[in-house]
Amino acid sequence: MMHSKFAKLFPMSLLLMLLFLGITAPVQATDPGTGSVADRIAPVGQVQLTGEPPLETESEVAAVEESVEPRAAPTPSRSDYPDIGVSSRAIVWVLAQLHLFFGALVLAVPLFVLIIELVGLFTGDERYDDMAHEFMKISLTGFSITAILGGSLALVLFLLYPDFMAYMMRVFGAQWLVYAGLFFFESFFLYTYYYGWNAFRYGNRKWVHLSLGLMLNASGLTIMVLANSWATFMMAPSGVNEVGAVVGNIWEVMKGPLWNPINLHRFIANIAFGGAVVGAYAAFKFLSSSDPEKRAHYDWMGYTSNFIAILAFLPLPFAGYWLMAEIYAYSQQMGITAMGGILAWLFIVQAVLIGTILLAGNFYLWAGMSRTDGSERYKWLVKFIALVLVVTFLIWVTPHSLILSASEISQLGGSHHHILGPLGIMPAKNIAVNLMLIVTFLSFQLYRRSDKVATVRWAPAGNALMVAIYVVAIANIIFLGVYYGYFTNTVYKVGSSVAQVASTLVVIISGIVIDTLMFRNAKILPSHWGRIPDRAQYALFALPIAFTWLMGLMGYVRSSVKTHWHVYTVMKDNSPDNFIPTIAYAGNMITIVTVLFLLCVLFMFWVANLSGTRQVKPAAEGGAA
Amino acid sequence: MKVLFKTLGFSLGLTLVFTLVTYLLPQMKGEAPVEKQVDLGSLTMDDFVALGEDLFNNKGTCTLCHKPPPLGRAPDIQGENMVALSAKRLADERYQGEAKDAAGYIMESMLDPSRYVVATWGKKGSNDSESPMPVIDKAPIQLSSMEMDAITAYLQAKDGNEVTVALPTAEAAAEVSAAPAGGSASAPAPAATADEAMAKYACLSCHAMDSKDALVGPGLVDVGGRLTPEEIRQSILDPNAVMVEGFPPAMPADFGTKMTVNELQMIVSFLAEKKG
Amino acid sequence: MEEKHKMGIFSTLISVVIAFAIVLVLFYGLNHLIMGMQGLPLNVDLTPAG
Repeated sequence: MMHSKFAKLFPMSLLLMLLFLGITAPVQATDPGTGSVADRIAPVGQVQLTGEPPLETESEVAAVEESVEPRAAPTPSRSDYPDIGVSSRAIVWVLAQLHLFFGALVLAVPLFVLIIELVGLFTGDERYDDMAHEFMKISLTGFSITAILGGSLALVLFLLYPDFMAYMMRVFGAQWLVYAGLFFFESFFLYTYYYGWNAFRYGNRKWVHLSLGLMLNASGLTIMVLANSWATFMMAPSGVNEVGAVVGNIWEVMKGPLWNPINLHRFIANIAFGGAVVGAYAAFKFLSSSDPEKRAHYDWMGYTSNFIAILAFLPLPFAGYWLMAEIYAYSQQMGITAMGGILAWLFIVQAVLIGTILLAGNFYLWAGMSRTDGSERYKWLVKFIALVLVVTFLIWVTPHSLILSASEISQLGGSHHHILGPLGIMPAKNIAVNLMLIVTFLSFQLYRRSDKVATVRWAPAGNALMVAIYVVAIANIIFLGVYYGYFTNTVYKVGSSVAQVASTLVVIISGIVIDTLMFRNAKILPSHWGRIPDRAQYALFALPIAFTWLMGLMGYVRSSVKTHWHVYTVMKDNSPDNFIPTIAYAGNMITIVTVLFLLCVLFMFWVANLSGTRQVKPAAEGGAA
Repeated sequence: MKVLFKTLGFSLGLTLVFTLVTYLLPQMKGEAPVEKQVDLGSLTMDDFVALGEDLFNNKGTCTLCHKPPPLGRAPDIQGENMVALSAKRLADERYQGEAKDAAGYIMESMLDPSRYVVATWGKKGSNDSESPMPVIDKAPIQLSSMEMDAITAYLQAKDGNEVTVALPTAEAAAEVSAAPAGGSASAPAPAATADEAMAKYACLSCHAMDSKDALVGPGLVDVGGRLTPEEIRQSILDPNAVMVEGFPPAMPADFGTKMTVNELQMIVSFLAEKKG
Repeated sequence: MEEKHKMGIFSTLISVVIAFAIVLVLFYGLNHLIMGMQGLPLNVDLTPAG
């Protein structure tokens, strides 16, 4: 299979993918700086002295002046904003957030579907291929839902924020057309990839199929990074001057300081989110089936989904940290507004959500250990992991920069709680989050080991090494956090968090490497797919709900951190909604969009199942006519 | 069906738990700055100082960073005697700025924060040469010179020191209030430096300042050597009077009505210095 | 049999001690490397240098 002549198509598609990404680069705004001066102004290059009659090039002058005069961003007054009787921001909020939920889903699913399909190809096990196919099937409607929401969002934006949209159109120019054009490609590859699944199953055709999947992912990824540039431009504009006139080319406009951090963060987060959503499908089907074979199938599907979600979730805090660091570097004011000012409490809510995600993910792994008899040896560790998770979660949830009134300060005995205060700052929280990730990985590793017995001779040494790595890494993280966090100056404190992250990564990478090597030709113990308590499936519902709500919360941050600006420092927001709403209001909005998303996803899954059912023809018993 | 109800119920229940968390937290609304009418005829120094304090705490967003230790990311200027402190700073051998007194130092700190960075408060890795403080008369804070005077007055008055800034006059106010009606301070205030003026009028969109490269218009790196200040002034006010051969008549002809006299003067002086 | 058993525990202990020793050195080096990379040099006892 590897040497078939059509296998060349695969790397060729890789080149095509690079081409797609390259398309976005050279799209230029009106940049008059090319070509020789003489060529450019030949028709109009004449000297005119005062007193001489004006030249006939009047209209051309006007045209040229029009096209090169750099226009500042518009400054609409409150009455310039259309009012349709309902809060404009609320409408855009709902549509935009739903669009992002579905966009994330339909970008993520093809990514892990392609990988699962490849796994199926390399292991020769067709069940992987069938599962990949099923994942595509259940998310297919999601693509049109994304498009419906996107189209509605665009219309509503043009209706309710015409001046802002006119400005954005001007700034991004032809990039909008590239974005629109990509949907043609994405649709083509989506339909051929999905509907051609069974037609292109084996041999050379399989490579064609994989190429189609790769191109689907490439077009989706390009679509996402183009759209991300609009959001990051609004937060940290680049390529424009102080009053918003475009002075750079489209590449400079797109490649602001926040673009790549957002690209990375959303790329990883999408995968985690997509895994969580399809996991809910698997959990639902598991609970609804009584057939043991079906239950086994959906149990496996749920496990795979959880695996994808948690695996993608582990590096996410680091991508988020990079994003926040870039925000602080761009504008300390914006950074502090987010984490030390009015939005600070929001990150406590984030801690609650992430705690939910990790607890649910871990709980599912522990419950899944009942699938294998070999898991008995590891069960004793579970309560310690649970203890660590709870303690670290509580530390992470501890607030620090409280906005207190004078009476509250005197009650508290200071601006911070004298015991809990020290736990609320970053060094303690960095210890907490790194430990949470390490013990989550431990749950993972124990689960993966529970159906195997190592047969290599060096297994005891390998285990000793693994134990040492865990113990020393945890001790190192605590040492780094406590010593540099509380006893040295700020610069060392901040720098120590990088060393903590490195320690966590050492655990994860060495764990993967050691296990891969150590369990070569391992003795496999029987595992029983389907043998898992029903209550564990609820963890697979908790995951997507928490993820969805978290995404909504982060959308509230992204928008609010711009305070009263449409485009930060460049175009002021003069609409009636130009204030940062309270967190309870945001909570209500986020819940509304979460519930709407839930209903749309239910519809999506239902339609997928519907297409597979066929009504039985009723027996003709005098029921004719 | 039962499964659907149970799972849906669980999902909705969990969602409501998260919503409940947001209800329990302190609620704060982040209002945008609102236009305030100030009657200059009856403005007393006490009013002016109070205005400064209000600006410090609200529109100026100063308290975001200037907080008492250990929270603050900038020196606690509300807690310190600023006049005494300014004197110390001006006397510091690291001080390279142009201020001569407390009011001047405070104003300079707002307009050009990196001119002098208080030790240990600089951006990480810049060795206290770069300040993380934004420029106050630019977006997003964009205080007018009157507002900055008010803050200066507040910072002097709060510790009982003499206020050395003058109350705003009607002329200065007229300039600021000539901004388009209905907007907040959305029209850019008169530029305070040549650089600002050139950014405001987008000169760089057509002219390269540091080379002879022709963009839409000629490069201006040596314009001071080629033209007299009077000729430079004419090129700005009446671009079509004398044009360089080979360039399109594209320069806007309405700078005369748009620029303030001060802005024009700053630009002309700046360009006259550019001798390549 | 007992000999072998005693030897077994001894060799397990040795391997654990060696493993810890290696890993401690590894993380010690990691701390120096990561902090050094960021322009935050450390002394031999891991206190901030300079």
